[in-house]
Amino acid sequence: MSGQQLDCALDLMRRLPPQNIEKNLSDLIDLVPDLCEDLLASVDQPLKISKCKKTGKDYLLCDYNRDGDSYRSPWSNEYDPPIEDGSIPSDKTRKFEVDANFAFDMYREQYFEGGISSCYFWDQDNGGFAGAILIKKTGDGSKKFRGAWDSIHVVEVQEKGAGRNAHYKLISTVMLWLHNSRPESGSMDLGGSLSRQAEKDAPVTDMSSHIVNIGQMVEKMENSIRSTLDTIYFGRTRDIMNETRSLVDLKGKEKMDKVNRQLAKALEEKNKKTVEEAAATAAAKK
Amino acid sequence: MSGLEEISEDERVRIASDFIKAAPPGEFKEVVNDVRVLLANDKLLTRASGVFYDYATEQFTTVKLDGGDALITKEGSLDGSKRFYDPKTGKSFTYNYLKNESSEVQEEDREQGEEEKWRSAIQDALKPYLDEFYPAHVSAVYGKMEDGQVSLTVCVEDHKYNPNNFWNGKWKSKWETKFPSAGGYATVSGVMSAQVHYYEDGNVQLLSNKKVEESVQMSDPAKAAANIVEFIKKSETEYQMAINENYTSMSNTTFKALRRNLPITQTLIDWHKLHGFQVGKDIMNKS
Repeated sequence: MSGQQLDCALDLMRRLPPQNIEKNLSDLIDLVPDLCEDLLASVDQPLKISKCKKTGKDYLLCDYNRDGDSYRSPWSNEYDPPIEDGSIPSDKTRKFEVDANFAFDMYREQYFEGGISSCYFWDQDNGGFAGAILIKKTGDGSKKFRGAWDSIHVVEVQEKGAGRNAHYKLISTVMLWLHNSRPESGSMDLGGSLSRQAEKDAPVTDMSSHIVNIGQMVEKMENSIRSTLDTIYFGRTRDIMNETRSLVDLKGKEKMDKVNRQLAKALEEKNKKTVEEAAATAAAKK
Repeated sequence: MSGLEEISEDERVRIASDFIKAAPPGEFKEVVNDVRVLLANDKLLTRASGVFYDYATEQFTTVKLDGGDALITKEGSLDGSKRFYDPKTGKSFTYNYLKNESSEVQEEDREQGEEEKWRSAIQDALKPYLDEFYPAHVSAVYGKMEDGQVSLTVCVEDHKYNPNNFWNGKWKSKWETKFPSAGGYATVSGVMSAQVHYYEDGNVQLLSNKKVEESVQMSDPAKAAANIVEFIKKSETEYQMAINENYTSMSNTTFKALRRNLPITQTLIDWHKLHGFQVGKDIMNKS
């Protein structure tokens, strides 16, 4: 029963307006408390921000740096509020995590020119390791146009071939939120998320190779999702709306389409004639 | 984070009702089914089913009626539950929410007062406008006398459902006015809304609405109808154009400001070099 309930819960989250994700998720957990951990792990929410008590730097909150009700800062590696025996990565993984945060901080600056990024890595039971790379950017445009971007990339790394190769699996979700309150258009909210997956094999010489391999994979994936967001948000949803009401007088459009078809046909005939005449002239010359 | 104590039955019904009310256009059955499995208690689902009426009347759900289409609206409700009236055909029917079907259709011999000549004039004037701009419109014009005044409500709906391709969309608008039967100037207020749901590998929704109001002259039924339809046409066209303009500026400005296509260098990042900066920084820190 629980498997079916999780399927229905996830189906519901794909249908309810994403503008209300937090309320919907909270209600869902109240309704089916047994699914709490599964839901927190599988339902992406807009990323929340917290300030590292030790370094004063901002970091992002997600299920991957959460232990109970506390969150671990990627800068200080400490939990807030502090807890005993909070889950932290091994020394080797922590060193990698520090490097990854540095690298993705630079990635973030080059693509987002602002915003916040955080990376969290952990060891897997099967000997490999995994991580979450998060980015959040809010637009500081005028009050009438507001926007926010949340990236959640989860990568799994499995080393193979005596450490000379690795298999990478990436699941990425980008949430995009846009709000407009120009009086001419009333209230307009365009929001939600798209998810994609990718897998690849790549050579590894040392731990820094993972930074390069994961970085390239995330960059390629984010560029691809960005392009898809553009098409879906500003293309498809707009087209669908315009299919429920036409901007152009439909009868007039019908007439115009007919005229265009006649024009196209006439042009075709004319071209055909020109080609035939040219061929006839050429034949006559031989 | 919610405490994990059991919530009350009333709370469970409230949550189930909230979920159902938020179903995107064309996905009522799917959402009810999900809620049914999660609630795991058909007695509570029956309690929550009171919200079916709220959902359908809010959405202007369309239903087939004797070969035509009718709207489910509050104005058309006969008993606040399952019996509805379609002013265009003068028929009443029982509505099955889960099947989206009409049954027990009856010809209504309703007493028609002062309001009917205004109501039918608007209904006649509305049709050519809807035919011009809506590929598949369904509408209803309701009229009644209230406190000695003529009270009119116009409901318009057009939707496009394509669940096989993971999308659904709906446009709807509601227009209301009230004036003394002798005519004069009256305020016509309208609410227009557009909702789109795209859900292939994700969940993206457009939610938009706008309120408008204007003083319109109601000198006689034919002129009043023409004025009202003119106001509707002007408002809806302006609103739809403004949304389209927003799409363009959101794409060109807001979206671009969130994340660039490529770094300023116009090339992909050299990740080997990036790591070089880290190594360099480490060396500098150590020295």
